[in-house]
Amino acid sequence: MSEPILELHGVGKSFRRFDHPPFLLRNLLTLVRKKDVDKSFWPLRDVSATIYRGETVALVGRNGSGKSTLLRLVAGAAFPTEGYIAVRGRIAPLLQLGAGFQPDMTGRECARINGAALGLAPDEIDARMGAISTFAELDDFLDTPVRYYSSGMMARLGFAVAVHTDPDLLLVDEVLAVGDHAFQDKCLARIEALRADGVTILFVSHDEQMVRRLCARALLIDGGHLAIDGPVNDVMARYAAVLAGA
Amino acid sequence: MTPRALPTLWTVRTPTGARSCRREGDTFVSASTPWLRERVSLLRLFVGNDFRARYRAQALGVLWSLLQPLVMMAILSLVFTRAFRSTEPNFPIFLLLGLLVWQWVSSSLNAATLAFVANAELVKRTVFPRVLLPMSSVLSYGINAGIESMALVALIPFFPGAFHPGLSLVLVPVVLLLLVTLLSGAALAIAALNVIYRDVAYLVSTGLSILYWLTPIVYPPTLLPDAWRELFSWNPLYGIVTMLRGIVMHAEWPTLSAWIHLLVPTLVVLLAGTALFRRHEREMLDHV
Repeated sequence: MSEPILELHGVGKSFRRFDHPPFLLRNLLTLVRKKDVDKSFWPLRDVSATIYRGETVALVGRNGSGKSTLLRLVAGAAFPTEGYIAVRGRIAPLLQLGAGFQPDMTGRECARINGAALGLAPDEIDARMGAISTFAELDDFLDTPVRYYSSGMMARLGFAVAVHTDPDLLLVDEVLAVGDHAFQDKCLARIEALRADGVTILFVSHDEQMVRRLCARALLIDGGHLAIDGPVNDVMARYAAVLAGA
Repeated sequence: MTPRALPTLWTVRTPTGARSCRREGDTFVSASTPWLRERVSLLRLFVGNDFRARYRAQALGVLWSLLQPLVMMAILSLVFTRAFRSTEPNFPIFLLLGLLVWQWVSSSLNAATLAFVANAELVKRTVFPRVLLPMSSVLSYGINAGIESMALVALIPFFPGAFHPGLSLVLVPVVLLLLVTLLSGAALAIAALNVIYRDVAYLVSTGLSILYWLTPIVYPPTLLPDAWRELFSWNPLYGIVTMLRGIVMHAEWPTLSAWIHLLVPTLVVLLAGTALFRRHEREMLDHV
């Protein structure tokens, strides 16, 4: 077995729930912060798994089962409430295409900010700008403010930046649902190329064909718990049973 | 192709935060990591984008930054010298120095309330040192203040008696650095708290309008009764404004007591702001 790249140990995440938006002034005046322990809920609890370098692993489960929360925790965009997550190498979280794009910025500026947030130094991004704009098919529009972009153009730019960051671990959260078929195929081909280069991929998908095409291993999350971790056939069979029982 | 080696350092995220760690068998041991270079280059990127985005939205561009403080100075000078009969010599320059500082304070703290809220997607879906966003609000309005102070330079020929610069000009960068420190501390707390508590933006704008009158911007501190002046001088902006005026207009060297009155509250704001930010950072990520 190759070296581990991601380890989850008893990971749990709880969110505080508020009946109304909290106000600082009221909290300061009353000096009481109500202990709303019973108001917290756990979208994810007690998840342990190890992912090895070079693996492509699918996260499957029903809507609201905690898959996206798990990806956000792995990406570091949120912290666990219990347990710990250990990860190494450069992570490219494709949690939403075009995160950080501001309407008044040009495509080039957005790519820089986005790439920086994905861990690339500005000069590294500039060196890849040509490849990024070619992949996104945006050559004439790179210096146009993104408010004039179509949603497809935004998604293409976002995906292009993320896959050109030279990641060790790629996190994909159903973002491939955007764009037309030609672009989806291009994205999928790029993901397969990255996989062939030894990039580790953890992705959320409801598309069973894609899961079977890309992965040998899958994790089924159900009700915030890790229901099964194993070969893709076993997991998909169990997932079908979960869906049927719903 | 052979994949490059993975770094030996792991990032370990626990309920109390993220650490860089070495792996020893089954346990993780904390290790230090170089981080300054990455932060500086990200900060430059954020500040540059913030700044460019602001001017793209304005027809007059940078020119507006020169006009606005001059217009303010003209109208306030008229009111205070004609209506309130201020006897302060060279009142317009005295006023402009105060206004330039105040403009930086109020616009950067107002912008800080939005530092995370307006960049919610970036904060929620990507990973970078979050402290950089409020700091970039402070620094990008610092560039504004730099441009605005060209208005001051333009006024030198019209008020030849007002400017007595001397060797103490070397202290200007020190005073401005303290202002950046002060504003960063406040901006960090404001930005994080505003994500969790919806009323922080209102508290900030109310607080700023009170602070405006607690700082000697439109009036000289000598107008205050002695007991009040002692109290007011613990306001760090009091020290910054009076020091800058003393340096630019009278070639003064600030007294030791003035430095203490400035340094102590600045450090308190920095430490309190950082502590509040640290305490709320992880919860903020769940609410943004």
